Parts: sequence; structure tokens; C-alpha cells
Amino acid sequence: MQRLLLIAAVLVAGCSKGPEADLQYISKARSLGAEWALVNEQSNAGKLTGNYTRTMREAVREQLKTASSSLTQPNSNYAREIGALMAEPDDAPPAQLRAHADKLKQIEDGLESA
Amino acid sequence: MTAVGGFVDISELVFAAKAGSLFGYALIWAFALGTIGIIVFSEMSGRVAAVAKQPVFNLMRHRLGLKLGLLTLAASAISTLITCAAEVGGMGLILHYLTGWPYLAMAIASTAVLLASMWVLPFKWIERTYGLLGLLMISFAAALVSIHAPWGKIAGGFVPHVPSGLSTKQMLAFAYFLVAILSAVLFPYETYFYSSGGIEEQWGPKDLATNRVTSIVGMSLGSLLAISILANSAQLFGPANVGPEIPGSAALEVAIPFGSTGLLLALLGMLFAVAGAAVETCMSNAYAVSQFFGWEWGRHKKPWEAPRFTIAWIACFVVALAMVLTGIDPMTLVEYAVLFSILVLPLTYLPLMLLANDRKYMSQYVNGRLAKSLGWLFFGIITAAAAAAIPLYLLTSGGQG
Repeated sequence: MQRLLLIAAVLVAGCSKGPEADLQYISKARSLGAEWALVNEQSNAGKLTGNYTRTMREAVREQLKTASSSLTQPNSNYAREIGALMAEPDDAPPAQLRAHADKLKQIEDGLESA
Repeated sequence: MTAVGGFVDISELVFAAKAGSLFGYALIWAFALGTIGIIVFSEMSGRVAAVAKQPVFNLMRHRLGLKLGLLTLAASAISTLITCAAEVGGMGLILHYLTGWPYLAMAIASTAVLLASMWVLPFKWIERTYGLLGLLMISFAAALVSIHAPWGKIAGGFVPHVPSGLSTKQMLAFAYFLVAILSAVLFPYETYFYSSGGIEEQWGPKDLATNRVTSIVGMSLGSLLAISILANSAQLFGPANVGPEIPGSAALEVAIPFGSTGLLLALLGMLFAVAGAAVETCMSNAYAVSQFFGWEWGRHKKPWEAPRFTIAWIACFVVALAMVLTGIDPMTLVEYAVLFSILVLPLTYLPLMLLANDRKYMSQYVNGRLAKSLGWLFFGIITAAAAAAIPLYLLTSGGQG
């Protein structure tokens, strides 16, 4: 019986759609926004090399693209926020990137507590 | 080399940094617990090598029979091959951060350098090069000191506990990270590499004290470096809402206090530690296959003096590189390596324990009460972790929640 319940839970987790299923991508995008802000902040302080800064920004963009294209609700408020984050220039001010990450965090917390 | 380049591998880098940012210092005890486990099994494998003077896989075949022995060999070889691919991918990524050149080209270059160095250099020099340069990872411990880490909280992290106030989802993610960290610390290739090295260095019963000290000191050093990465992450990444999702982010932990010099030291330390792990995984697979089938083996021999052994480690590198070149995300490889490894851990450590418990092979050096109790305790832990691994992976989408 316990095994059946576990299999059912796994199937439900694997097949779910909507904001619940998108939570992992929202969380990922929030973290990527915060990482991008940290990279830009340290780069502005002259603490990083040019290659590192450039490759990290590329990796952030690539992963944001993957997270965005994996969303099941592309017209949702969080999809728009991820889109806005992706539209920022490479050297966007850290505070601006953090604002996007904070908004995504609020959405994430709201969905988790719902 | 077992201590640094091999213990602090790409999986530990990734999971330590993520665990620290998500759960603060609460998972330090998982590293500590896993370290006790790997010390127990390493010491056992070194003792078997020193006393029985036969490689573990050769004895395994005699002890378990051909069918079960072959199953153990296959499970271990596949798990180690995936781990090797993750290390090669990790090297490609780190070189990409250092040079800005394309990741896949860097993975190919890394493999070529590894192959060339293993062909040309004597085993001692391979160990010295990757092991000693991997010690640049100490920069993570230095960073922890310089950011004035909360030592009381870090000490508290060594006490096994589950943080209070976690939601069900967070609890599942915590359990997933616990399993993943145990798997990453207890990778079976480390013990096979270690015991085969003991045979190459012609250990005997007089070396048992050295075996014990090497197991304890070496594995503990690697663990302390991984814990430094976790603690830096708890201090610097967690409050900033950083996941971290990109493996290169770990180097920021050293760049923040020490600037671009710190960044370079961290990246180079990561590169050599991961390269050391790549060498260990490949050698471990070549050792295992050669020992099982009774082929000529050993790095003290010239490559052409043990041709099938040489072909085995070359093939391991080539297949690992081919896996990377399929374009699979290196982080996915890391997750698969950890997941597959925990599934086969009970299968790989049980025969070792049976051998070390067998007076016929070990005479007066058979497992004592402490080694036997710890061995069975950790066998229980890894069996439970193996049973929980896949459900936790699916329920948490690989720790994403």
C-alpha cells in the first residue's frame, strides 16, 4: 500500500501542470537573477576577470532561457518577470537585477504558501 | 591525491555550495557522517590490499562467484564512468571560465592533457601534480576565515539535526541533499583507487598504521575543504538568494574576500582537484576490470607492458568525453553520477566488508569489533539512502523543490 502511494505521489509530481509545476523554474530564475547581480557587483568592484564575468553572464542567460521555455504558463506574471529579467543588458546594475530576483522570490513564496 | 583531487570532486563542489545556500550550516553533519563512512571503507580496502596482497576485485570474484562478481563490476564501472564524464565536463567548464574559450573544446583539450599526462608521467608525478595543485582549494578555507564566519554555528552544524520549521517540500529537499552528499562523499571509486595504489606500492602488514593514518587524515582534509565551501555559501550566497545554479559561482566565495587573485586560485584549485578526480575514476575502472579478469595491470608498468589495462583507462576517458560531447548539461551528469552511485553503493561495499570480515583471507588482521560495527552501520545507512534516492529525486525534481 505504501509503495502504491509513493508511486502515485511520484506520478502526480511528474505530471503536474500550472504554477505548482513551474515553481522549480521560478526558483531557478530567482537564483540566476541573484547570481547575475552578485557577478556584476563583484565585477564593478574589480574583483573578477573579464573572461569569468563574460562566461558567467552567458551561462546565466542560457539557463534563464531554458527555465523560461520550460514554463507551463507562459502568460503568467512570473513568466513576464523572467522575461523582464532576460531583457536586462549584460552589465545591468546589480540593484536592478536584485529587484527582479526579489519579485520572483515574492511570487515563489506566495505560490509555496498557497 | 585521494584526499584532495578525488575527494573534493565536481559533485561535492556543486552539492556543498547548494546545500549551504539552501539550508545554512544544517548539512555539515552529512559531510562529517559520510567522511567517517569513507574512512571506514578506505581503511578496510587498504588493509585487505596490505594483508591479502591481492586486489579487491580479484578477491571479490573468488568470494562472490563469477555472476555476482560480474554484476558488482558492471554496476561499479557504469557508476564510475558517469562520474568520470561529470569530472571531464567539470574541467571543460572551469577552463571555459578561465579562458573564455568554448566549453566543448575545453572538454576535449582537458581529456587530451589527461591522456598525455597519464601516458608520459610516472604515477608518482601524476599524483604530485594533480594532488598538490589541488591543494589550491585551501583558498576556500582561507576565505572562510577572512569573512569572519560564525564558528559557533559551524560547530553546531556537525551535530546531526534537521532544521526546525521546514515545510514538507523543504523537508524532502533536505532529505534529497542529505542522500546526495552521502553519495558524493562515499563514491566507491575512491576505495578501489586507494587499495590498488596500496598494492602498487607493495604494502604489507607493516604498513597498516600508515594505511590508517592516510585514510583518516587524507579523507578528513578533503571533507574540511568541502565543508568550507558549504559554510562560505551559507554566509555569502544564502542571504543573497543565490542558489547557486552555475558551478562557477562557487569561485565567487574566494573572489569576494580576495579579489581576482582569489578567483584565479579558486578556479585553478577546482580545476586540479576535478582533474585528480577524473584520473582516479578512470584508473579505478581500469583497475577494477583488469583485476577482475586477471589481466596484467599497474601504473608502475610502462603502458605497453600492461596493454589491456592501458586500453581500459584510455577507453574510459574516451567514452566519458563522448558522453560530454553529446551536449548533456554537466550539472545533469553530476546529478546522474550521484544518483547512480548511491544506487550501487551497497552492492560495491558489501563484498569489501565480507572480505575484511573473513578470517580465511585476513587472519589476525580481520575486522575488529569497531570496524565490523561501523561497517554494518554504514552499510545500513547507504542501503536506506539507496532506497530513498530515486523517490526523492523525482519528488524534488532533483533538489529543485
